[in-house]
Amino acid sequence: MMQADVDDSGVRVQLHFGGKDRVIVVSEARLEQGRRFARTVLHEPFGRRAWLELLYFVAGGLLTALAVAFLALTMVPGVGLFITFIGAVIMAASVRGARGFGRYHRALARALINEDIDEPEPFNPKPGLFGWLQSSLRDRAGWRSMAYSLLKVPLLIFGTWFALSVWLDAFFCLTFRVWGGGAPEPRGFGIFQNLFSPGYLSVGRTGFFHGLFIFITGVLFLFIAPWTMRAVVYLDRWLISLLLSPDPLTARLRSLEHARAKTVDASVATLRRIERDLHDGTQAQLVALAMRLGQAKEKLAEGGELDVEQVRRLVDDAHQGAKDAIVELRDLARGIHPPALDTGLEGALATLAARNTVPTELDVDVRERPTTAIEAIAYFCAAELLANVAQHAHASRASIRCSQHGQWLRLVVRDDGRGGAHPSAFGSSSSGLTGLNDRVRTVDGHLGITSPSGGPTVVTVDLPMHA
Amino acid sequence: MTDNIRVAIAEDSAILRDGLVQLLSDRGFEITDAVSDPEALRSSVERALPDVAVVDIRMPPTFTDEGLRTALELRRRHPRLGILLFSQYIETRYAAELLSEDAAGIGYLLKDRVADVSDFVEALVRVASGGTALDPEVVTQLLGASRRSDSLSSLSVREREVLSLMAEGRSNAAIATALVISEGAVEKHVANIFTKLDLPVSEADHRRVLAVLRFLDS
Repeated sequence: MMQADVDDSGVRVQLHFGGKDRVIVVSEARLEQGRRFARTVLHEPFGRRAWLELLYFVAGGLLTALAVAFLALTMVPGVGLFITFIGAVIMAASVRGARGFGRYHRALARALINEDIDEPEPFNPKPGLFGWLQSSLRDRAGWRSMAYSLLKVPLLIFGTWFALSVWLDAFFCLTFRVWGGGAPEPRGFGIFQNLFSPGYLSVGRTGFFHGLFIFITGVLFLFIAPWTMRAVVYLDRWLISLLLSPDPLTARLRSLEHARAKTVDASVATLRRIERDLHDGTQAQLVALAMRLGQAKEKLAEGGELDVEQVRRLVDDAHQGAKDAIVELRDLARGIHPPALDTGLEGALATLAARNTVPTELDVDVRERPTTAIEAIAYFCAAELLANVAQHAHASRASIRCSQHGQWLRLVVRDDGRGGAHPSAFGSSSSGLTGLNDRVRTVDGHLGITSPSGGPTVVTVDLPMHA
Repeated sequence: MTDNIRVAIAEDSAILRDGLVQLLSDRGFEITDAVSDPEALRSSVERALPDVAVVDIRMPPTFTDEGLRTALELRRRHPRLGILLFSQYIETRYAAELLSEDAAGIGYLLKDRVADVSDFVEALVRVASGGTALDPEVVTQLLGASRRSDSLSSLSVREREVLSLMAEGRSNAAIATALVISEGAVEKHVANIFTKLDLPVSEADHRRVLAVLRFLDS
């Protein structure tokens, strides 16, 4: 005796079994899960993805056959003749060709199984034949895609046995009526042939039930085939991402080259700035000074009555100009390398805090000295950030906190101003927050800004202790 | 001699600009305007039509050679406007560009030259009246870089001195004063130089400069 209720919360089944009343409750969520599972399984052989994966397997197999044939034709003589020049050329051509096959493999994966792998670094040979030879033989992308083609061979063999065979089983079982003729039963392939060898169907030899059984077996295979193929394609995806993707070593090299280029640019920009400061500041001061002294000298050399007042004014101006030039030169020198840094970051930051127009609190807790480059970067960050506070923030007070966290140095500059600081708000990349960010990144450091409109602004700079 | 010479000044450093204004008005020049960027110079020249403009080569906005560009442009519109370019560096390329058409009323001096006030004033007067004033540094660079060193080596030491001063744009009288020799002696040296270097003889000082520069630059 059984009674079932169905409502929004699920199914409730009451049944009498083994002398007891039992209640089985299946929640709606569980039911939905089951329904989805059934839908997926039933739908799969008729979905796009299963057929594309099958197509990918076959097309990838053909492409691999071509690639392996090419490699066999080139690598064998290439290795054999390697000590001669021509052998090296053949081998280099082989690596270049392997790279080309890699590109087709990627295109196939992109088009059919939606595996979008970035192209590796373009081949960029050194000039000259020997440069080409050397670059080709050292082309990591080429060697890696060669490895892919070779490793794909066992994968294809396994895939044929494990997945392609199931598709074939399904096909032959379902179409047995058409081609079977006098054959007693369809041939099994691959894994199922091995599992049910020698003949896997033994329900009678003829008649309706035999035919029906073969048909049902075919349907069963049809529902299994997409999943075994998916497993094989999954292995292939893993191989692709391992061997056909951009080389991690090369990528690291590129990022380092990029950082180096930034550093070189930054140092050129610094030199430009120093030249500009000298040109507009000290040099102009000295020219004006020489001009005044020249005038005074000529006045004194002139015959006739001397206008003492005028000469005194010229000398006064010249004197003032000389003092201004000294101050300017001192500031400039300090901007190139602050002498206070020689004694350590704490002293330099203290000078900086004391000189700032906004009252600035300083708190330094650093147990060991970072390397000088890090100290300099931390110092210039603090200087730039404090200058920003003074110029833009409309703050009434600011603070610098410098602390050590393991192998990292953390600098926090905070102000109670109006906020809204943004990397682009302080001008071009050579100055301001963007420039700081570039500078910090050259040592793999990090700069973070929180500056909501209305303040407060907190800029955090993390630098490695040793760069 | 400086009376009624009307000068416009374009210099972005305030301290130098003020110094120039003070120095030149003290020497009797009339300052029409003292501005700090090329745009202001353009409108000032259009409005006041000065005799000569003292122009800094490096000015805003790019701080490269906008002074030179502006000067060349003004010169095309006002052929009689004297131009004295003023710079902290001497670039031979700039000099060549400046003198490519005509050397009349053109000057190119290092800023340092203002320290010798009389020489500077003299150069400015020369440019205002259609002469030429090239910085000795320009001439030295041209002499050093000249591919005609074989011809130059045929000159005597004194003749080379005269050649340098001539290239700077000085008249025979000025050369005579500078070298403390008679004007007649200068004339003799000049004639020798023209013969030895196979230069076309010309009367006007600024044409003479151009001939020498073309020779050195060729």
